[in-house]
This record gives sequence, structure tokens and C-alpha cells, in this order.
Amino acid sequence: MGKKLVIVGSGAGGASVAAEAKRRDPDLDVLMIEQGDYTSVAA
Amino acid sequence: MPYYIGDVIQDEDKLVARTPERFRDGGIEVLTQTSVMEINAKESLVQLGDGSRVKYDILAVGTGTIPILPGIPGQDLEGVFTLKRLNDAIRIKAWIEEKPVHEAAIIGAGFISMEMCENLRRRNIKTTVINMGALPVTRWDPIFSKKAQEELDKKGVVTLTGTKTQNIEKGADGRLHLTTTVGELVVDLLILAIGVKPDAQLAAAAGIPLGKTGAIQVDFSQKTPLENIYAVGDCCEVFNRVSKRWVHIPLGDIANKQGRVAGRNIGGSPMLFPGIVAAQSFRLFDLEMAATGIDDREATQAGFHPVSSIVWGNAIAGPMPGNSSVGIKLIADQSTGKLLGAQAIGGAGAVSRINTLSCALWAGLGLDEVAYLDLAYAPPFSPSWDPIHVAAQDLLKKL
Repeated sequence: MGKKLVIVGSGAGGASVAAEAKRRDPDLDVLMIEQGDYTSVAA
Repeated sequence: MPYYIGDVIQDEDKLVARTPERFRDGGIEVLTQTSVMEINAKESLVQLGDGSRVKYDILAVGTGTIPILPGIPGQDLEGVFTLKRLNDAIRIKAWIEEKPVHEAAIIGAGFISMEMCENLRRRNIKTTVINMGALPVTRWDPIFSKKAQEELDKKGVVTLTGTKTQNIEKGADGRLHLTTTVGELVVDLLILAIGVKPDAQLAAAAGIPLGKTGAIQVDFSQKTPLENIYAVGDCCEVFNRVSKRWVHIPLGDIANKQGRVAGRNIGGSPMLFPGIVAAQSFRLFDLEMAATGIDDREATQAGFHPVSSIVWGNAIAGPMPGNSSVGIKLIADQSTGKLLGAQAIGGAGAVSRINTLSCALWAGLGLDEVAYLDLAYAPPFSPSWDPIHVAAQDLLKKL
């Protein structure tokens, strides 16, 4: 496994970080933490 | 989300761009219903609600905003909502359908409040806006805000201006009884839409510096001043290309872009975020409202010498049927002749004109260039001299 990326929040910003970082570096170990029920919500 | 509440968008799943399952399919681990209690930047770990700790090499903070509450007794009662998360929208819609809701009030008169008015009226709910100020949507010139107010009046929305809500109580009838500075109001639903502030508490507690706006400080790579910690979206600041200042503008399209930039930098394909010009739009019933850049006050604060003018024109060629009026306000710097900002309102074509003017701002065009921009003319879409040209030429006289 590559480096560990932790993302706090999965709204428009956090979800974009997760998707793009993983796309650019598939070896990244990505964990996204969301306090609510939903990820990547369009407001 | 207001359009989901108005049932224009019927299915809440359509608001989710990517589900946790789809993230997992892409090799991204997701924890929902999980709170982060603490960021420990010294030891590079986060502490979760269940006490467990997760180590990181790189951290990205995307904690968004929190609604500003008015601090009124009774604001936590059942039937009183803020609108931030999808869950809030789902709960509001369920409340409307189950109660049922005949009358609603909204505290606040910003663009979320305006979108809610349209969608509550669509559901035939009698709607009252409780505005502490005199006019709604104060980003716009008072002349345009007055047009917004007229639109609210025309569509049967009741507005209480200069009005403060002092108390909310649940009556024996099960309804919400609001005491305001102008009398009592009884509703089935109350939405608190005063505004939002950056949710930067976790970050601040971890020693991540905040900017003057109270949002997290970042650079053009989306890095915070702390090593290996990035911030994106509504919790952090963004660079305004016009004022050359770091500002806090919580809008989802900006968050998406900042997130992608941070993701590229983390994933080894570096890029810099180019900044924003603060373009924004919303619809209020039959009106489009949009703005971009900075207004006279912000321009003065940023050291410019702003001049501005408002021009009313036709969104489409005069002889065409369905002619609709569009108002354009331009703000320019008297010293340099550069465009600084624009606002528009109209039945159609206001948003498209602001998008055009956003490009002009992005490119740093002078008013003289805007006055002769080559735009796509045809009678159904614009007069041969577009209102943009007319507005620029009008303001040029003041330079």
C-alpha cells in the first residue's frame, strides 16, 4: 500500500479529493470519513 | 435541495453524485455516521467518535459549513429546520407531506430563502419571509433587490421586513407560534436560513491557521500552513481574482474544483487553483438573478475607485415576441478602466450575461473591451447591441 490519505468530510470538496487523488495515484490508501449518512451530495 | 423539497426533483438519490458503495468500488474506503473528534497534527492522526485513532500521511479537511442559528428560544422545536445536509431536506419534505404543512415561515432573505419561497409556493404552502433587513438578497444593488421583493409579492409570498423573531412555541394546536417584533405568526414549518459559517472548529483546535474570514487558510495548492494537511470547499478560503483577496464563498462548484486540485496535488499531478471571480446565480419564480466579481463597497475596500451604472435592456431583439427586460449593473475601476463586477436580473438571459461577464472579469478586460465584445447575436437571443455592450458603453462615460 502507498501513503494513507484521510479525508474529513465527504461533501463536494472531500468527495472530489478522494476521487481525484485515487485516480492520479491508485496506490494511495484513501479513507473518507463522513459524519452524516450521505456522500457527495449536490446542494 | 430546495428543488427536491419542492418536488421538482422527486428522488433524493438523484442528489447523490456518488454513493459510498461506488466510492468503495473505486477502492476508496468510506465511513459514514462517523464523527472526527480531534485532529492531532503532531502525531498525524485523527480520533474518531468511538475512541479509535486513524494515522494518516496526508490529511484533507472538507468539513463544510454550519448554519448560523438566530438564538431564539424554541429554535430546536420539532418543525423548525435548517437546510444544510441532504438529511435536512429529506426531513423537511417528509414533514411537509406528513403534517401536512399549510403555512410556513423562513427566517432570512438570502438566496436559499428565495429558492425555498419558490419551492414552498410550488407546493401551495402559504409562505412568509421574516427579514431583519429592508430588502432581500443584499448582494445585489437595492434596485435589483426591490425587483426581487416585487416578485415575492407578486407570487403571494408575505414578507415581514425589519422584523425580528423573538420566541417560538409549540401551541396546544400542535403548530408553531412565532412571536415577532410585529406580532404573532402561526405556522406548521419554520426554516432558519440566516446564513452559514465555515465549520473550522476541528481544524482550529488542531492548530491549523484560519484566515481573517474565519475559514481555513490555504494556498493555491489547497495546502494549509501545516505540513501534509490540505483543506477544500466551504470550510476554507478561496482567492478572489478581482479583489486579489482571500475570501469565504461557500458554493458547491468552487468546492468541487478545489477538491480536484487538492486531489491532483496529493496524487502527484500538481496544479494550482486559479481562483474565482465569485459568480453566482439563482432563480426566484420567473426571475433570474446573477452576480459576479465585487460590488462598489468591496471595490472600495480593495483599494479601487469604483464607478457603476445600471442599464435596462431587452434580453432578446426588440421586435421579437416574448420580449423580456433585463437589468445589468456594471462596476468598474475609474483609475484603470477595468471591469470589477456585474449584476443582472431579468425574466431570461440574466444568468447567461453574467457568465459572459465572468469570463471578462477572469481575463481582466477593460470596460472599453467589454463594450465591443464579439457575442453570438441572433434576434431570439439578443438585440444586435447586447445589453452588455450598452451597459459597458454607458459606464464608459463615467470614466
